[in-house]
Amino acid sequence: MFIALSRTFKEALSNFFRNGWLSVAAIFILVFSLYIVGLSYVIAMTSNGIIKTMQERMSVSVYFNSSVSEGEIMDIKAALGKYKEIKAVDYVSKEEALEEFKKENANVPTVMKALEEIGSNPLLSSLVIHANDPSQYEALSQVIANSDFKDKISRINYDKNKQTIDNLNNFIAQVKKMGLILGSIFVIIAILITFNTIRITIYVHKPEIEIKRLVGASNTFIKLPFIFEGMIYGLAASLIAMLFIFITVKFAGTYVAGEGFSNQLVGFYLGNFWMMLGLQASLGALLGVISSFIAIRKYLKI
Amino acid sequence: MYNNFVMEIIRLEQVTKAYRKDFIALNEINLVIEKGEFVSIVGPSGAGKSTLLKLIYAEEAPTNGTVYFEGVPLDSISRRNLPFYRRKIGTVFQDSKLLPNKTVFENVAYALEMSGAPNEQIKEDVPQILAIVGLESKTDTFPSELSGGEQQKVAMARALVHKPKVILADEPTGNLDPTASLEILKLLLGINKLGATIILASHDKEIVDRARKRVIVLDGGRIVRDEANGKYKTV
Repeated sequence: MFIALSRTFKEALSNFFRNGWLSVAAIFILVFSLYIVGLSYVIAMTSNGIIKTMQERMSVSVYFNSSVSEGEIMDIKAALGKYKEIKAVDYVSKEEALEEFKKENANVPTVMKALEEIGSNPLLSSLVIHANDPSQYEALSQVIANSDFKDKISRINYDKNKQTIDNLNNFIAQVKKMGLILGSIFVIIAILITFNTIRITIYVHKPEIEIKRLVGASNTFIKLPFIFEGMIYGLAASLIAMLFIFITVKFAGTYVAGEGFSNQLVGFYLGNFWMMLGLQASLGALLGVISSFIAIRKYLKI
Repeated sequence: MYNNFVMEIIRLEQVTKAYRKDFIALNEINLVIEKGEFVSIVGPSGAGKSTLLKLIYAEEAPTNGTVYFEGVPLDSISRRNLPFYRRKIGTVFQDSKLLPNKTVFENVAYALEMSGAPNEQIKEDVPQILAIVGLESKTDTFPSELSGGEQQKVAMARALVHKPKVILADEPTGNLDPTASLEILKLLLGINKLGATIILASHDKEIVDRARKRVIVLDGGRIVRDEANGKYKTV
């Protein structure tokens, strides 16, 4: 058994090199498939990461009248913390708000001057609320606006953020839908193209298969080289595809989506290089082996 | 009965092969070939020569009747075991049917590799057999770089290398000039002397007459003549 494996593997390797353009063609089709799948994956995962950070940055701030004491606000904070829709509630005191405001406007002399003239702290204490799901902000702000402490509230800045939040919610839904549809279409196309290419490759070898049967080779001995060859195609293609994906995210990414996004893509690519290479290689080898297996069954009529 | 089996290697009993309802390639053939015989099968195109050989190496099954090899009916051999049966037979065809991606050495070695022969045996036997057919200088050449005669010699070497009991040669000289044809015949006669049974289907009058061996004439799917020391004559 071992001798048959090593012999058929050697044969596959030698066929791979001697087939010349046919190997090259088959590999590049596979590269194309793996490239599309891999690139979609990198873009999807990176976008997902960006969306997540954006979601985490989203919040609704509730500002309290200056007459409301810190103790009262802490009671309300504790009450809000019980809602299961709310992920976190942060208390921002007047002083902290002023610090933040000064930091943000340090370069704007007129604002700083106006602040000096007022003398006292004009800012309000607030609670910054993070929801578990960005689509819940609207409902949350409604609940807070109608709560029993509504008289203590100066304003809720949900309206200000409403447009941003709605846009983001829409965008997330669209990206998820499109990504899923496009991704599945690409994967299906990739599999079909690969299968067909390998089928053609094996078809070209049909006379050889007949000769081998005639000489008395067992079906396994005829089949194994093709299956190994399919595996070699997959492995070689995964390496080339990884290279092409890198070139795309590094250079084309900058050109199409700007440096920031491109850097995120490259970061994700480098951070997950081995995992992706492993996935690509297994996917490539699996595609190659399964296609070979199906195609060869047809011609050997087992 | 038993003694018959020892002497005979191939027997056809009432063998008929029909391809469609209206085309009968072989019609109720009865034939016994003994161990060590050299049999030429002649006849016009479409007489059934190739079909007869195909039935013997079980590439096709008869419509009626039974083919026996060493007393074993071929239809009792499962598809799975067919390759093992075929290894007892060496085949040579008009188009030498070499593997184009493999060198001369690899083509001949393939017959041994697939049967699981050890590497040492392959390294020893292949050059030996290539020397017998006179191709020791072409070891690393690919088939496309060889002449028709040389290709046919490689096919002979491949057919011989696992020491089969029977060699089937279907028009082996069909594409060759007279000199190359004679060389192939000499090889076949030499192998026959070493004990292998040879079944040669041929159009080539010169070759068949030179062999001075048993000649079976087929015509219209029937055996019309069977002479122990025959000449090429079609009726």
